[in-house]
Amino acid sequence: MTTEIKERIPSPIGESKPRLENDQKVTGAAIFADDIQFGNSLLYARIMHSPHPHALIKSIDTSKAEALPGVKAVVTGADFPGYLGLYLQDRHIFCRDRVRYVGDPVLGVAATSEEIAVKALDLIDVEYEVLEPVLNAEEGAKPDAPLIHPDLGNYKVANFIFPQPGTNISNHFKLRKGDVDGAWEKCSTIVERKFWVPHIQHVPIEPHTAIAQWDETGEITLWASSQSPFAQRNLLAQALGVSQSSVRVIAPKIGGGFGCKAGISMEALVVAIASKTNGRPVKLLLTREEEFHTAFVRQELIAYYKMGCDENGKILAMENTYYWGGGASTEYGVNVTRAAGYSCTGPYEVPNVKADSLCVYTNHPVGGAYRGFGMPEMHTGLEQCVDELAYKAGIDPVDIRSINCVKEGCETVTGFKMHPTGLSQCIEETAKAIQWGQKSPASAPNKRRGKGTAIMWKAPAMPPNAGSSAWVELAEDGTVNVGLGGQDLGQGAFTVMAQMAAAALGVPYESVRISSPVDTRYSPYEWQTVASRLTWSMGNAVVAAATDARRQVLDLVSEAWDEDPEDLDIRDGIVVSYKSEQEQPIKDIVVYGLPKPDDQGWLGGPIIGRGKFMPSYVTGLDAETGQGTRSVVHYTTGSQSVEVEVDLDTGCVEVLRGVSAFDVGRAINPALVEAQIEGGFVQGMSSALFEEMIMVDGFMQNPSFVDYRIATTTDAPSDLQSIIVEVPQDDGPWGARGIGEHPMVPTVAAIANAIYDAVGIRMMSPPFSAEKVYLAMLEAGIVE
Amino acid sequence: MAYHKITLTVNGEAEQVDVSSNMTLLRMLREKMGKTGTKNGCAAGECGACTVMVDGEPVNSCMMLAIECDGKEIVTVEGLADNGHLAPIQEAIIDSGGVQCGFCTPGILIASQALLDRNPNPSQAEIQEALVGNLCRCTGYVRIIEAVQAAAKMV
Amino acid sequence: MLDPHPSLPEFDYIKPKTLAEASQFLADHAGEARPLLGGTDIFVRMRDGFWKDQYLVDVKGLDGTNEISFDPAKGLTIGAGVSMNRVSAHPDVKVHYAVLAEAVDSVASYQLRSRATIVGNICNASPAGDTIGACILLGGVLNVHGLDGKRQEPLSTFFKGPGSTVLKAGDVVVSIELPLPPKGLQGTYLKLGRNKSSDLSIVGVTAIGYPDADTVSGYRVKVALASVAPTPLVVDKVEEIMAAKPITEDVIAEAAEAAFETASPIDDVRGGAKYRKLMSRNLSKKALTVVWEKLGR
Repeated sequence: MTTEIKERIPSPIGESKPRLENDQKVTGAAIFADDIQFGNSLLYARIMHSPHPHALIKSIDTSKAEALPGVKAVVTGADFPGYLGLYLQDRHIFCRDRVRYVGDPVLGVAATSEEIAVKALDLIDVEYEVLEPVLNAEEGAKPDAPLIHPDLGNYKVANFIFPQPGTNISNHFKLRKGDVDGAWEKCSTIVERKFWVPHIQHVPIEPHTAIAQWDETGEITLWASSQSPFAQRNLLAQALGVSQSSVRVIAPKIGGGFGCKAGISMEALVVAIASKTNGRPVKLLLTREEEFHTAFVRQELIAYYKMGCDENGKILAMENTYYWGGGASTEYGVNVTRAAGYSCTGPYEVPNVKADSLCVYTNHPVGGAYRGFGMPEMHTGLEQCVDELAYKAGIDPVDIRSINCVKEGCETVTGFKMHPTGLSQCIEETAKAIQWGQKSPASAPNKRRGKGTAIMWKAPAMPPNAGSSAWVELAEDGTVNVGLGGQDLGQGAFTVMAQMAAAALGVPYESVRISSPVDTRYSPYEWQTVASRLTWSMGNAVVAAATDARRQVLDLVSEAWDEDPEDLDIRDGIVVSYKSEQEQPIKDIVVYGLPKPDDQGWLGGPIIGRGKFMPSYVTGLDAETGQGTRSVVHYTTGSQSVEVEVDLDTGCVEVLRGVSAFDVGRAINPALVEAQIEGGFVQGMSSALFEEMIMVDGFMQNPSFVDYRIATTTDAPSDLQSIIVEVPQDDGPWGARGIGEHPMVPTVAAIANAIYDAVGIRMMSPPFSAEKVYLAMLEAGIVE
Repeated sequence: MAYHKITLTVNGEAEQVDVSSNMTLLRMLREKMGKTGTKNGCAAGECGACTVMVDGEPVNSCMMLAIECDGKEIVTVEGLADNGHLAPIQEAIIDSGGVQCGFCTPGILIASQALLDRNPNPSQAEIQEALVGNLCRCTGYVRIIEAVQAAAKMV
Repeated sequence: MLDPHPSLPEFDYIKPKTLAEASQFLADHAGEARPLLGGTDIFVRMRDGFWKDQYLVDVKGLDGTNEISFDPAKGLTIGAGVSMNRVSAHPDVKVHYAVLAEAVDSVASYQLRSRATIVGNICNASPAGDTIGACILLGGVLNVHGLDGKRQEPLSTFFKGPGSTVLKAGDVVVSIELPLPPKGLQGTYLKLGRNKSSDLSIVGVTAIGYPDADTVSGYRVKVALASVAPTPLVVDKVEEIMAAKPITEDVIAEAAEAAFETASPIDDVRGGAKYRKLMSRNLSKKALTVVWEKLGR
């Protein structure tokens, strides 16, 4: 690294500082929502769930439960007519007239113990009239399908979402570019495939937990394992018809989120119940089974791809149709389908594109945000088709990606000019690291090895004007307190923010604290901890706040020392003048100020810097063509290559090696970037090999860890390599882009491509269980 | 339902406590003793977040009744550090970067410490097998396994 | 199982002082009381509401339930309350009953095996029980204490169906006895789960073999299958085939085919019947090959 660059990148940017909250987390001192002590006034909530995928509620009799000693409240939807929803307000807090999935909350009980709450539920009778369910997105999109939301036309909706009232389609994103029909005849090779990606779940090890209290004055406090305290404040206030300032959300440490603790779900239930408990706090802790049945899930995807290339491997056209099984509510999921629409080609420059991305209601659990926000599902089939196109056209699968991938200045599918990106470098790096083109010998005669590559792109999917804010406050001893509203989910956001504040202010990293837990009463606004946007968006706000504080310090010193601020600097917590060579630690300056130059009085006072960031340049897209000036803030891109071994005796697929390269713009903390890449890879691998919510007639068959398997220590490959590529983002702090979600986007496709390389079969639907792989090999005549 | 008075040792301190028949060791630690470092992730013996040591052996505390712990010695994550000095496994998991959200961490630390107690020099495969009952959704496990290897070298 | 209990439903914990007291209590409360060993299955089923017992009768620590002992003249006795980890770590088990240790180590996770017991595994009578195949093939006999005192139940006739055994109200299994293994015994347990370890078996194959001068092949070889029939399944045809002619790869293939024919699995959430049947064959072949190689081929 040259000195010039070192000058530009101040310490501790680019340094692998240890995580701030490490000591608390290894000693058991870290406080998660379920650890907060409320004393013996605490009540325990349990929820009655719909046992039917689709039914009308005819009657509810709660009288026996209400008479049970220890029961303090029984709450139904009758008292809460308001709607909830992030992009489309399509659900009530509790069901009112209709249930739409097995697990839909029908009513809630609060009692002095969990046991009594459970007994109370047993005493409640609910009468249903069962309706025909919709169990498949493609079927559900048909005009004669049973209607799940007859009121779709009346729901409040964001202006970039396009519901079709009178159908189950809650968003239809259309993309029309160039002349697809005319392009096919110019293609020398065409591939057409259908894929199905089932529902999976986030599986944070901490189940959703929320405690709510309404005091006598109507002030509502919610403690929740939450990625979105501010969004929850907003959505709760809207649904309950109360002032935002009456709602306070406190978000302690969170045991994993991956999207399922974004927006709002069970938190609203416990707040509603707490409205009837005369000020007593109420806790709702989901069981693991409820977590599977009732928390957000990843939408399922039925996808049709058609793509073609010329003799040189140049992709000329794509025609893709995505049917997203959104579940019973698509309040959040509609935007997943929009993201898949404007990113529908994957990271390729394709001149002729027709795509339809449809969000379809089904009588399945509610789809929401899941790490990758539609991109892993979409890339699963897309990146296999590109692979197949390469083989059919006689082009190396890595080469076809290098030829067609987006590069700086090229026109993306929505018509915006691609910003600088290191995707080509990522492809080269992973191919080199995996020793692409070299077949290594299998570990046993009955095993076959293969290698596969897949690439990806993903933009932060959010409203165009999602904002961040921050403050930076200095204490008498020169330590720094950073206020912010984003959450540390374990990704290390607080650590990275502390590094940025230290660098922007000029103080040692060790002197920076993050003001936590996030509390909407005291913390500055943040939209949500989603979309891999914190490093970039909240980072910009923190840097702005730190820069503001620094400017205040230097202005003060400049006046007190009678020097030009340009000659002053803060280094390691000490204000220095390059001109007079004076020095003074900031601790002597930042609260009590400085004496005036003539010593007759004082200058300055407590210093608080403030900062905000909101992208101002994202434009709308045409509703018919999906074209526009700038669809998104930016894309993070990357590539993964894997090596697998397939056991011909059992069909077991073992991932031996995983190599990832992502362009993160700037790695503020390289160790944390690598940790995200490794963790994302294994989560992606787990979804490739093991995970599926097995749904039969609307009923999940495997709602526990016994039968919903995730990767364990013995499944994760020990050979994981993470390559950091840094092509800076023009509006990111020191060029940084997000990396939280991206590492699991290409993984399923990369593994599928490696299985193809190993045994020559194409797997159209994850998970690639041993059984599925074996039976596919049997059908192909590879085994007997 | 009957209640029972039991005496036991938790992190070296003698305790006496009244427990109901159906109270699990996990609930007793969290609800009766304020030892909230031990986490509830599934209540079914599958995720390992509630792992504690009972007479030196790691168990899922959601799968053991409090009353079965009468007379036994319990060690939770709060008991690993010695007078504020972190145990080698705690140091190692920090150094290796094996902590993310931290919810599985207490169970992983206890299961790892128990492994090192019975096998001071475990192979990679032995570490993987010893931790197969501790689910982690954040890290991908690689750095956790490195941490146990590093801790073995530190002792 | 939409809404299992958040923790454990209410019940009373009973700690009898003698086996006789335990049997009497269990008989007096037939249908609402159950013996408690490690609890790792009972608690899960009670949470689910599948079992609704009023009483759990802790029989750990009663006469003989907490000991594991090896007598070079008679064999191994494992008390009902002895955890799987104690069995697996026992030096004599490692030497004389290695196949049992191998099967034990495939069960769930280490911390679950700190509580889970072999007798519990047997009494649950799950067709998927990993340790049952080894116990049957090694000639296991249960020591049972009932209302009428002590008796023995051989494992070969113990299982009646999924979750169903010959045990009656008042019965407490005190221990399992495994006779001295035949000289030169070799064995293996191969388990196929959805992920590499800790899962329940899609198919589990226990195979043992030892020199036997009374057979044409010179060896006595046996196979038991898990998860492919209503009860743990010993494939008698395998023993016949492997005894009748000198062992070759073809003979092993023939024996594996017999396993395929005998298996009568169902479709469930863990695997389809077709796949299970095929894996009964493939894993039997693999297990028999392993045993053959261990016997010196």
